[in-house]
Amino acid sequence: MMRFVRIFFKEVFNMALLIVGVTALLYLLFNLMPGFFPGKGQGVIEYLRLLKKLFTFQFGTSIISGRDINSIVFPAFRNTLILTIGSIFLSILISVPIGIFSAYRGFKTYSWPLVIFSYIMSSIPVFYFGYLVLYVISRYTGFLPIYYPQGVERGNPVVSYVLPILVLGFGNESISEIVRLIANELERVMHTDYVIASKAMGESVLWSSVNEGIMIPLVSIVFSKIPFIIGGAVIVEHVFNWPGMGRLAFQATLDRDLPVLIVIAFLAVLCVRVGMILKEILLSYINPIEK
Amino acid sequence: MKRFYFEKEKPNIEYFHVPLSKRASVRDVVSIGFGLFVVSYLFVFFGISVTGTFIKDPMEVNIGAMFLSPSLEHLFGTDFLGRDIFSRIVKGTEAFFIPGLISISVSTTFGLLFGIISGFYPKYFAKIIFFFLNIIDSIPRIIFILIIIVLFNPSIYLIMTFVGISSIPKIASYIKSKVEVLKNQHSIEAARALGLSQWAIIFKHIIWLSTKPVLIIRATLGMGESILIETSLSYLGIGVQEPTPSWGNMVAMGKDFFFQGKIWLSTIPAGVILFTIMGLYLLGDGLNSIYNEKVSR
Repeated sequence: MMRFVRIFFKEVFNMALLIVGVTALLYLLFNLMPGFFPGKGQGVIEYLRLLKKLFTFQFGTSIISGRDINSIVFPAFRNTLILTIGSIFLSILISVPIGIFSAYRGFKTYSWPLVIFSYIMSSIPVFYFGYLVLYVISRYTGFLPIYYPQGVERGNPVVSYVLPILVLGFGNESISEIVRLIANELERVMHTDYVIASKAMGESVLWSSVNEGIMIPLVSIVFSKIPFIIGGAVIVEHVFNWPGMGRLAFQATLDRDLPVLIVIAFLAVLCVRVGMILKEILLSYINPIEK
Repeated sequence: MKRFYFEKEKPNIEYFHVPLSKRASVRDVVSIGFGLFVVSYLFVFFGISVTGTFIKDPMEVNIGAMFLSPSLEHLFGTDFLGRDIFSRIVKGTEAFFIPGLISISVSTTFGLLFGIISGFYPKYFAKIIFFFLNIIDSIPRIIFILIIIVLFNPSIYLIMTFVGISSIPKIASYIKSKVEVLKNQHSIEAARALGLSQWAIIFKHIIWLSTKPVLIIRATLGMGESILIETSLSYLGIGVQEPTPSWGNMVAMGKDFFFQGKIWLSTIPAGVILFTIMGLYLLGDGLNSIYNEKVSR
């Protein structure tokens, strides 16, 4: 237990340092470049004030609309979080069985269509895939809402989560990488001596070697894919008109709304680093060397 | 072959002694062949589009021939202004080819530099370098690019330079782990004992003999990534602007006619993107599985 606490505090310290670094970099860039930013050209004091704003989650007001940034960002952040976490789980759910199957059977009759499928899914442009899904769903079925319901009669928004999560889960470029990694690792584990020995003794090796082989690489790759999935969320939110952080970031880009943009970058970095903390803790829980 | 009982049998052949042609499985050969095909047609398309021969004018508007289906005259059909889609696809390679090469060269050069420095001097430089690389790594790439677009209002060349910068950390950490393994090996020790200088060891034994495959693999993957970034940005409307053809641009323009049933307008460019990126990924994976010394079979 002490181990986890130690790792946690070390990683939180790391995260704070990195966030200070990221915001310092962005503040420096904002100061070098044209465009209005509150506290521009006033040096370190304003930077410390910005840090205080960010770390107390009181983000101030937008310079375009004059609204409170907290009231804009947090609902969007919640929506993006749902989208991201859902699609990560969907990606794992698709790619892990394919990887295990293709390692266990080899690249033979049954598994090659699945592997090719994983490659196709990770190299298709995600917005085209989104439009394809929208076209098929809206033309031939029509039972799933194709946009995020807004307004008074919004009904149940949970159903509208299905399609964006589906599209981002299939199309976030990480499926083929996870498949390849798992297949390689599992193949390596299944040819080690102890697995061959236990196979000779008549044990079922698949599940034990699955646990041995894939958990560590799976955890490390999934959490390191979070920035890419947030990046894909920008596109998918644009396709589905989904009121999330990515669309907000795009809108802020068009408006040159630097305060909103720095808040979004801060939240995205926070997501990534929290993912890293979870990854370290999970790895130290899984890895038998550290026990 | 064992002829006498007192002869020792040959030891198991170590992995890196097997010639490259015999290491490859059928899957590797197929994927590398597919990848090389893709790379070669990219080069051919780029050459054609630079010299401007063999194809119809990609900018020529012909209102009388809008929305034609694929035929012999127009190989991939025509778009909403009657422009030939095939020649636009060929011309569209210009939009990402040089920028992609810039992105690759930035990321591999600096990744190699930082990786080697931090691999050789883990005490002094590695922590500082990797602190800064972690800063770059933890900003999601698209948000980083959006910020760059707000600040610099850049062309596609500058955007791709920043894409290259954002993939430095990955390459640097690969090279660093490779160097950390390599520098304790006997061959490097022997080279040092023979009196070779540090630079000779770095350039010949580490870069040229050992990290070359990693760099080639990262370069192919980086080209695929830069194509995907270009298409995504063009879809959002902040990449290459419309009359100039680019692949992402064509998919993004064609999507407006998607729901009218004219799906080839965006499906054909999307299919070309899919084919190309899949080829590049497969090339990278095939090379990876050939060069990877861990999986020994």
